[in-house]
Amino acid sequence: MTAGLVLDGLDVRTDSSESRGTPLLDGVSLSVGPGEFVALVGGSGSGKTLTAMSCLRLLPPRLAITGGSIRLGDLDLTRAAEQELNSARGGRLGMLFQQPGRMFNPNRTVGHHLREPLRLHAGLRGVGARSRALELLAEVGFPDPARGLRAYPHQLSGGMAQRAMTAVALAGQPEMLLADEPTSALDKVLERQILQLLDRERRERGLGILYITHNIASVAAYADRVLVMSAGSIVEEGVTSELLARPRNPYTRELLTAARLAPESRRRQPSTEREILVLDEVGKSFPAPRGKRHTALEDVSLSLRRGEILGILGQSGSGKSTLAKAVVGLESVDTGSITRSPDGAGGDRITAVQLVFQEPHSAFDPRMTLRTSLRAPLHARRELTPRERDDRISAAMEEVDLDESLLERHPGQCSGGQLQRATIARALLLEPRILICDEATSALDALSQRTILNLLLRLQREHHLSLVVISHDMDVVRYMCDRVAVILQGRVVEVAQTRDFFATPLHPHSRTLVAASIPCRAEGLWAALHAPGLVRAPDGKASRDEA
Amino acid sequence: MLHFITKRMATLVAAVAVSSFAVFLIPYLTPGDPVRKIIRSRVAGDAVDEATVQGLAESLGLDDPLLAQYLRWVGDVAGGDMGLSYVSRTPVAEQVLPALAVTLSLVVLSLGLAVSLALPLGIVSGLRPGSAADKAITAVTQALIAMPEYWVAPVLVLVFALELSVLPTAGWNDPSSAVLPAVTLALRPISFFTSAVRAGIIDSAAADHVLASRARGLSRAQSVVRHVIPNGLVPLSTLFAVWFAGLLGGSVIVEVIFAVPGMGRLLFDAVVNGDIPLAQGGVVVVVVLAVVVTTAADLVHRFLSPALGASLA
Repeated sequence: MTAGLVLDGLDVRTDSSESRGTPLLDGVSLSVGPGEFVALVGGSGSGKTLTAMSCLRLLPPRLAITGGSIRLGDLDLTRAAEQELNSARGGRLGMLFQQPGRMFNPNRTVGHHLREPLRLHAGLRGVGARSRALELLAEVGFPDPARGLRAYPHQLSGGMAQRAMTAVALAGQPEMLLADEPTSALDKVLERQILQLLDRERRERGLGILYITHNIASVAAYADRVLVMSAGSIVEEGVTSELLARPRNPYTRELLTAARLAPESRRRQPSTEREILVLDEVGKSFPAPRGKRHTALEDVSLSLRRGEILGILGQSGSGKSTLAKAVVGLESVDTGSITRSPDGAGGDRITAVQLVFQEPHSAFDPRMTLRTSLRAPLHARRELTPRERDDRISAAMEEVDLDESLLERHPGQCSGGQLQRATIARALLLEPRILICDEATSALDALSQRTILNLLLRLQREHHLSLVVISHDMDVVRYMCDRVAVILQGRVVEVAQTRDFFATPLHPHSRTLVAASIPCRAEGLWAALHAPGLVRAPDGKASRDEA
Repeated sequence: MLHFITKRMATLVAAVAVSSFAVFLIPYLTPGDPVRKIIRSRVAGDAVDEATVQGLAESLGLDDPLLAQYLRWVGDVAGGDMGLSYVSRTPVAEQVLPALAVTLSLVVLSLGLAVSLALPLGIVSGLRPGSAADKAITAVTQALIAMPEYWVAPVLVLVFALELSVLPTAGWNDPSSAVLPAVTLALRPISFFTSAVRAGIIDSAAADHVLASRARGLSRAQSVVRHVIPNGLVPLSTLFAVWFAGLLGGSVIVEVIFAVPGMGRLLFDAVVNGDIPLAQGGVVVVVVLAVVVTTAADLVHRFLSPALGASLA
């Protein structure tokens, strides 16, 4: 076994004296052969990224490899001299990072980033480097490669930036690519494009890929083998179809259940309750450079009934967040009207609509304890005594299954999942009738995502809340919502009952969205994932229909 | 980019217009009648009668509307005619331009010195924050802030001019006479520039894209030279411009102590002697230069850091 990437019993520990012996990676063994697409899955903090950074020998300070070996073909990466490592990094061993926006030097053009690996690993300079760079950009789907070379990172959209980053990673003609959640920040359509690009490299020139992700659906579609990681160890390994169909390890099972956001058994009859939120031909535009105006929303008419869950689907930049802000009242609208009658009596009490934000870490003031942050909204209720306020906070924490001791912590001391619960608790304090969830779970891993969604569903049931779920994630919408509205460039292009929508999307854009959410290589497996019993053999299509 | 330049140029013109109008108003706002001030600067005593005063006022166009007077004055100044000094009776331009040349060379020398010291010091301490070298550099440069020029200058004169006799005490004759004033003036910018470079380097070294550059195969040294240092130095361009503009008219203490015939000295004398045309001419030149320098710095900054520029434009 000389070809490919082989990790054998890799240990990584902190090297500070007081916490010596805390293993972060504990005997990790894995291999990725040439032309193989291997997925490494696991919750956040399980050590996936650390594994990749160990292969590159770019561990954060104070972490060290204390045992085991990493080999790339005939090269022993654990023993290699710095110079050998430099020629391997970006050369034989490519790396694709999660957030392309942060991985580019903001003051350098895409061309500059491409020239570095071309010079270091392909020995190309000047005209030769330029023509190869143009070729690479064309390969990853830049419509105008020459312009792409001159572009600065901030001028690229998220999808284009990740394509550019892919071109940079491929510039050194790697035999092995470490792809660390390369698509987590992208919507489904872009995710599919990037993964297909990688898969083409795999087929055409035998690129080996270690694909780190928490997105099980994409694993089912592309990976030959799957490795499951938990707390710094590989807990299960197997051929994709086998492992997904018959997971043996309890952690794997949990992970798969979390990923299986199958259409839930919720009653999805068209609601007949009264409408408590009506948007009538709402329009909003913002000033854009050169005196033009950018239209964020145009003639948006929507309604929300009591106890209903409405999904709003759209790609990044389609106007979803502007819509959320307008409904909550954080943004004024130019035309049309928004009528909130949460009390049924035509009242327009604004606190009855609350917002759950996307990024839990930035939704809290880092210098305040959670208790201080949670007290803030209660200032709107002057009639409450301090004692009553604290009682309400305790009650809200209990509602979201958070321990009260967390209230004395600062946001930096909490996990993303805990903070997202706390944002929900904060939203509940003012007893809203409508909860707007703006990509409320897209920053979380699959396990936390699942728990938060279920929490929202339970709260919706118990309090008879109305939810607006804004997302680019088809699975989230399908799992949660009664009705779906698709928004494209500020316009609502389709509104349908969730079931009808996914069965027969009508608008061309809806069809693209739905198609992108179904992976290409393993339709059957996808169906299996969505079937009620995961342990059952993958004869999923029938069971999917009955769901 | 073109859009940005046009916008900056418009701001520049507006800034020059507003500030020059303020300068133009000086004689009107200071106590006393400008015509009498002119007469007093030429004739001893109160020998001139009212009709002569009126005649002079008329011939100078002082009865015209303020705006017309201002525009005429701007035209004159732009053509190099800043009037006559009350004190020396020579054209103001002939005094301002040599003084400007002296101050420019003094400022360029001292800021040049400051940058050439601050770059290596800031980079060394920024690349290894907390190291012994960093602590020493930070301690020394911070101490420089606490040393006022009126204290440093005499000490330097005592040591280098009087004790060692290697440099002249004062004046502006040969290159060696520039050394002590330039060093004195450079001390505080050295300190500020060093801490700005240090902070910039620490920031830029922590950025994710530096890690990404290592993953492309750049050695640590290559990554530092190509990504960490260039990005870390961007903030210095703005700070440099602020100091440059500030020192043009703000090197009074050093110029007075070392008897350097520069702008600070000229403005100081003009104010003390009530020489309004000289003060006006000096201030206008300093203000226009300051505005031009800060605009240039903005353009440089935008060029060095396109993303930041885009968010401001």
